[in-house]
Amino acid sequence: MDINIRIAGEAGQGVQSVGGLLVGALAAQGLHVLATQSYMSRIRGGLNWFDVRVGDSELHGPREKADLLVALTDAALRVLGGELTSHGLAIFDGEQAGGAAAIPFTAVAKELAQSAVMANTVAAGAVYRALGYDLEFLSGHLRKLFAKKGDEIVEKNLRCAARGAELAEGLAGKLEAPRAGRSPRSVVSGASAIGLGAATAGVKLVAAYPMTPGTGVLTDLAARADRYGIVVEQAEDEIAAINMVCGAVYAGAPALATTSGGGFALMVEGLSLAGMMELPAVVVIAQRPGPATGLPTRTAQQDLRFAVHAGHGEFARAIYAPGTHAQCFELTRRALETAHRFQTPALILTDQYLQDVQKNIEPLDESPRPIDRCLTAGGADSQRYAVTDSGVSPRAVPGGDAFVVCDSDEHTPDGHITEDIDAHLAQTEKRLRKLRAMTAEALPPALYGPADAQTLLICWGSTYGPCREAVDRLNDFGGSYEMLHFPQVWPINAPAVSALLGWRQRVIVVEGNQTAQFAGILKEHGVIGPVETCLRYDGLPFTAEYIMERVRR
Amino acid sequence: MNLCQADTRPAWCPGCGNYAILKAFDRAVAESGLDGRKLVVVSGIGQAAKLPHYVARPANVFNGLHGRALPAATGIKLANHELTVVVASGDGDMYGEGGNHLLHAVRRNIGVKAFVHDNQVYGLTEGQASPTSDPGFVTKVQTHGVVSLPMNPLAIAIVEEASFVARSFSGDGEHLVEMMKLALAADGFALLDILQPCVTFNRTNTFKWYKDRVRLVPAGHDPRDRDAALRLAFAWGERIPIGVYWRSERPSFESLCDALKDRPLAAPLG
Repeated sequence: MDINIRIAGEAGQGVQSVGGLLVGALAAQGLHVLATQSYMSRIRGGLNWFDVRVGDSELHGPREKADLLVALTDAALRVLGGELTSHGLAIFDGEQAGGAAAIPFTAVAKELAQSAVMANTVAAGAVYRALGYDLEFLSGHLRKLFAKKGDEIVEKNLRCAARGAELAEGLAGKLEAPRAGRSPRSVVSGASAIGLGAATAGVKLVAAYPMTPGTGVLTDLAARADRYGIVVEQAEDEIAAINMVCGAVYAGAPALATTSGGGFALMVEGLSLAGMMELPAVVVIAQRPGPATGLPTRTAQQDLRFAVHAGHGEFARAIYAPGTHAQCFELTRRALETAHRFQTPALILTDQYLQDVQKNIEPLDESPRPIDRCLTAGGADSQRYAVTDSGVSPRAVPGGDAFVVCDSDEHTPDGHITEDIDAHLAQTEKRLRKLRAMTAEALPPALYGPADAQTLLICWGSTYGPCREAVDRLNDFGGSYEMLHFPQVWPINAPAVSALLGWRQRVIVVEGNQTAQFAGILKEHGVIGPVETCLRYDGLPFTAEYIMERVRR
Repeated sequence: MNLCQADTRPAWCPGCGNYAILKAFDRAVAESGLDGRKLVVVSGIGQAAKLPHYVARPANVFNGLHGRALPAATGIKLANHELTVVVASGDGDMYGEGGNHLLHAVRRNIGVKAFVHDNQVYGLTEGQASPTSDPGFVTKVQTHGVVSLPMNPLAIAIVEEASFVARSFSGDGEHLVEMMKLALAADGFALLDILQPCVTFNRTNTFKWYKDRVRLVPAGHDPRDRDAALRLAFAWGERIPIGVYWRSERPSFESLCDALKDRPLAAPLG
């Protein structure tokens, strides 16, 4: 049982504040919440909305339609009023509105608190009453939230919430809402889970140029910098950011760059440098629809092929694609570990949806657990690029006994520039040999659903949640569906993946792009033959409904 | 095919100013008492950028991408600020491809020492104009002569208040060693522009051309006087001053990073 509340209005109107207030209060009350944001690339005006999905059991993805719309503007009501479920309700901030309950949040807030800002609290009060929830839960949350601002502010907020509830009296009982139970209390976004993963893994330098939707990780790490001892530097451009990261990891500090597709395009030469110099550079790429500037604040899975092939020349890389908040945390750590173990770049592919989606989950472990940098002390005669069977050479960092010589030119085992053909062959083969172990150790995709179902949905990265819900609901309706989710999309361990596939009546690849990029990669590896696809590339996130509509026959 | 034997000596032309700069670099490092294990020589791409491979006493080397020596050096300095980080670069690498990074490295005042071999021409790509080529300079690409004004990196570094800004000449070894030592000792960002003839591709700004023009900075010059420093930076033509143009007391970027107060971000093993 779940319900979807949509707060909609102009940028700068407090859409996020109402949403944030509801998320905090509902989670504290023991409900499962999952909140997503849909916003335009502007600071004022336009139409933004914040969905708070509330359930009595764990939620895995967003919904297409809302059950309760809180419209702060005429446009919000006009555009989104038609996107309600059949039993849906709308509340409008005003004196009157066709087809919606009119509650003048702003006027009430001005009257009771002499402040339009508290319209958010009036709205939250109204939502609480419409859902039939005890207002005391909201009041308790408000007391905690505003305790630091003093009694007067707390009192005003409580009055606003109460009046909002009073004015929504006519809506009480019209919507069936999930009952509170026990839910995890830690509300995090994907970006914040990535930030925490990086901080606890011992990232010491973060270099980035702000770019939506990648900025969330940068901001999160800046907030954690003092506690974990991190230098966060806003670089002059993405080229500087990746080269700073290369310099820092060369000198032994685990480092990370965060960006989106366009910024990553600028980093590509630097990525190739990390491949050549065998540096453990890690980049978080938060995807949005392109090409070029595209839709800056929307979501997509369009940069998979780009990430796989980015960089001139040939070198090994690992690419992780978290699907849940827990994976955002764990795979960031894993990316850093892999990069250091194999001395080659690792990428983390997220997207606007995953960066922004908030959910209450079991608290993540905030204690520092630095990864193994896999360093050796080395001596004066140590060779940075000694040729080895594994392709991985002992790595020292400057400042100790070794002289660490690294070159972007082809180099001899001691790191000095060379144009010798034999030396080049030895080094280029050594660099690519790492792929053997990296492939063998690639995270296997995970199956979900009844074993050997007739239809297999293949997905990667952030589509995990919507796909999982689709599988559950399709099976509830008597279908036979199973899901195979890839948390790592490169390199692909083809035999291991083939073993999981088995025989299926139908295989459908679900991904957020127009050209079925991952399906193509799996085909190249001989893992799948002709398959069906379920693609979404309108800039909005996948939902279970979207998938179900398209895969059902 | 074993071409190793062809690789061991510098790839520079006989008579290139880089030999004198390399010699001065070796002396400056030795006379500054720097331990090569605590020294990182960072470079980008170009003839000057090959210098780290030829230094007499072993040091750590990061020979990265064209134009990107400064951000890499910044990352290294932030990872371990106890290291001495020197950038060896040319006018194309530092002022052309890497121009944006120069602006911001100076703005930060990161404790990196940039030695720029400035021969006013592209050597490795065979003779095109550089950002410091004088107007009228004719090349196979700028066939009617350079039209754009030359960049004035020293003026930029002075305006943005780098810790140390100086100019020297590859033909005056003693002066060059002294300038390098002062740059190495400076806190914060140091820019040392080193005039240098390119014997193959620049037939205008020859050794004699520079030799006839360079003059020591006047003895009474106050390197903390910004207007006076800028006048030196704009003195180009019959007289070109060499010496310390500018010094500031600005703290280095790394000294202002809270995370670096107790210890470096990264420590080597052993």
